[in-house]
Amino acid sequence: MPLFPRAASAAKHIAEAPTSGASRPGSKVLSPRIRTRKAGAVAAAVAAVMALSACGGGAAPQNADGTVELRFSWWGGDKRAQLTQEAIKQFEAENPKIKIKPEFGDWSGYWDKLATQVAANDAPDIIQMDEKYITEYSSRGALLDLSKYDVDTSKLDEAALNAGKGEKGLTGIAAGINAATILANPAVFQAAGVPLPDDTKWTWEDFGRIAAEITAKSPKGTYGAAAYGTDEASLGVWLRQNGKSLYTSDGKLGFEPGDIAEWWAFLKKLSKDKAVPSASEVVEAEAAPLDQSGLATGKNGMAFWWSNQAPALEKASGGDLKILRFPTKTGSAADTELWYKASQFWSASSRTKHPQETAKFINFLTNNVKAGEALLADRGVYPNSEVRAAIQPKLTPADVKVVNFIDQIKDELGEAPAPPPKGAGAIQEIIKRYTSEVLFERLSPEDAGKKATDEMKSAISN
Amino acid sequence: MSAISELSSFTRRKGKVTAEEKKANKRDNKAAYISLLPWLVGLVAITIGPMLMSLYLSFTDYNLLQPPEWTGLDNFTRMLSDARLHNSLRVTFTYVFIGVPLQLAVALLIALVLDKGLRGLPFYRSVFYLPSLLGGSVAVAILWKQIFGTTGLVNQVLAMFGIQGPGWISDPSTALGSIILLHVWTFGAPMIIFLAGLRQIPAMYYEAAKVDGASTLQQFWRITMPMLSPIIFFNLVLQIIGSFQSFTQAFIVSGGNGGPSDSTMFFTLYLYQKGFGQFDMGYASAMAWVLLLIIGVFTAINFIASKYWVFYDD
Repeated sequence: MPLFPRAASAAKHIAEAPTSGASRPGSKVLSPRIRTRKAGAVAAAVAAVMALSACGGGAAPQNADGTVELRFSWWGGDKRAQLTQEAIKQFEAENPKIKIKPEFGDWSGYWDKLATQVAANDAPDIIQMDEKYITEYSSRGALLDLSKYDVDTSKLDEAALNAGKGEKGLTGIAAGINAATILANPAVFQAAGVPLPDDTKWTWEDFGRIAAEITAKSPKGTYGAAAYGTDEASLGVWLRQNGKSLYTSDGKLGFEPGDIAEWWAFLKKLSKDKAVPSASEVVEAEAAPLDQSGLATGKNGMAFWWSNQAPALEKASGGDLKILRFPTKTGSAADTELWYKASQFWSASSRTKHPQETAKFINFLTNNVKAGEALLADRGVYPNSEVRAAIQPKLTPADVKVVNFIDQIKDELGEAPAPPPKGAGAIQEIIKRYTSEVLFERLSPEDAGKKATDEMKSAISN
Repeated sequence: MSAISELSSFTRRKGKVTAEEKKANKRDNKAAYISLLPWLVGLVAITIGPMLMSLYLSFTDYNLLQPPEWTGLDNFTRMLSDARLHNSLRVTFTYVFIGVPLQLAVALLIALVLDKGLRGLPFYRSVFYLPSLLGGSVAVAILWKQIFGTTGLVNQVLAMFGIQGPGWISDPSTALGSIILLHVWTFGAPMIIFLAGLRQIPAMYYEAAKVDGASTLQQFWRITMPMLSPIIFFNLVLQIIGSFQSFTQAFIVSGGNGGPSDSTMFFTLYLYQKGFGQFDMGYASAMAWVLLLIIGVFTAINFIASKYWVFYDD
């Protein structure tokens, strides 16, 4: 309703603008009767929508014909989705009365979604669980004690089995065994004319020197190594080599501010020597998915990854990758202090309506050779020794490399680390944040060490 | 404005209501309520219900996995000593108090240019409005990330002039600025409103001013600004409320962590992290109510201040 139309054309423009006050055309012509009928239709539609949403809630219903539907959620990329769906197919062929409904996505969104689902009493029946969160979920009663159900654990490696045990029983069965590694891209080394290091003898100084040399002899934008400091694995190795640990067995921090400050001070030195990318590039790399990481795109000579990620990275990089041990302080592989980590766990929701069937599926994933033949080494080396042996011939060359590496370091392993306590899920984010504070020189390693340990302490004390 | 015209027609009819009309009115009302039902159900089930729930949760310790436990004002007292929360407030206020005025200034400027009677005005209007439709979207935030990356478009252009640009969104000193820029870029919505407002200023004022020898600048300050002030006020209130709640851009551009170094940690983003990342939903709920309070206070200030600068032409 233009109060003062300046000109006829102006009024027309106003009428065209989305914010114009023109009243809805035709609304006044409708007779009341038609309007009521329309309203009735709307009300019916609303009722229908509400009925639909009512069906959506609740956990797996049992159908009239006796089939049970279980929901199974995991995080991971395309390769993992294909392999896992193959395993599901094998299981359903053996158990026609059980249907498995997969739900998968990226790591970053996975935990938000899971927390919400559990809060809404709508958790998936089978949950792929991580070490960082298992205590959180199990101690709060969200996970099923699998020892009370029919899951055979007799063939599992002891360390892998123990990793899934907590105060609430056996709430997770290791899906695979992992180790922290440095992956090297030989193509980058070759282009720079730098020989690959001998990983049984190298020290952190060697690591820095080699990485800086690669950067110097490579085209702009290529760096010798990716920066560490974006997760707790590399910190864990560093602390263990210094006689400390991330966590103690009673759920406290296993290190002092000074220990983590040293770790950052060394990173700062690497950054100064241009052994690792610039601070901005490090921040950008954090957000990149695996197949766009610096190692996969040939921008990094070396990078910090878990062993089970090597085949996926090799596929993404399109070339050969070499798995290396972490460097040490002493130059002896016996002091690497690596450990076998349960790459991830199979857990079940404590509120599943079908615990028997859920346990049956987890038992299948853990002990059945057919599951092994489908999953191969994507979630790490199979913890079940029989399945591991049976699937050996089926493994791809990249998988074999991983299995061999896990085997090679067997005698050099340090003590099994204490399980991450409740609240450990927040630690990675704290590490990342203070790493960028240090790299951007907004905090000294000492100050970052003090602040970060304070924050970590309060994160795990809740 | 259509509401006003309907209201006036309603008051005009008062006094001569026949029995038949009364019946028809009743029927009309019933129809209206039935039509309103979907919205009403939505309001109660999706807005008011969860709001009350979150009000309750804000006084509890709730980790999502176990039932909430009443802790009284604990969540609110914890906020007083939460340095990251204070930082997130600083980031959000910077965003609102730099982003909103800048965006409105750009919107007004473009609206003034378009108001000069450009040929093909509908086309330009659409072009300038487009970012408003896209700006809040995930796709554009991702695009933004590419453009302002260390090897992004901006730095490639700068490199042509021999300038080595920083990683705009990955450097703590420029990251927030990049997001503010993204916000300013979505000036289309206020621009359209300004344009409609400009069109309603009677030409006779300008003609009279011209006869008296007023310069263009004088005309702008003495005629355009006062006449447009209700529209400016409307945009200001709307944008401030919206900006305090902005989430998507920071979430996508920073990869969800408000980084680097918390420099883009908006209040809403921190709230999200607390609730879903750190299993502290009680605290997150309390934060939501603090945000509501902040927005309420600023809107109230806006309304009070409007008495001194908004000019209503009636």
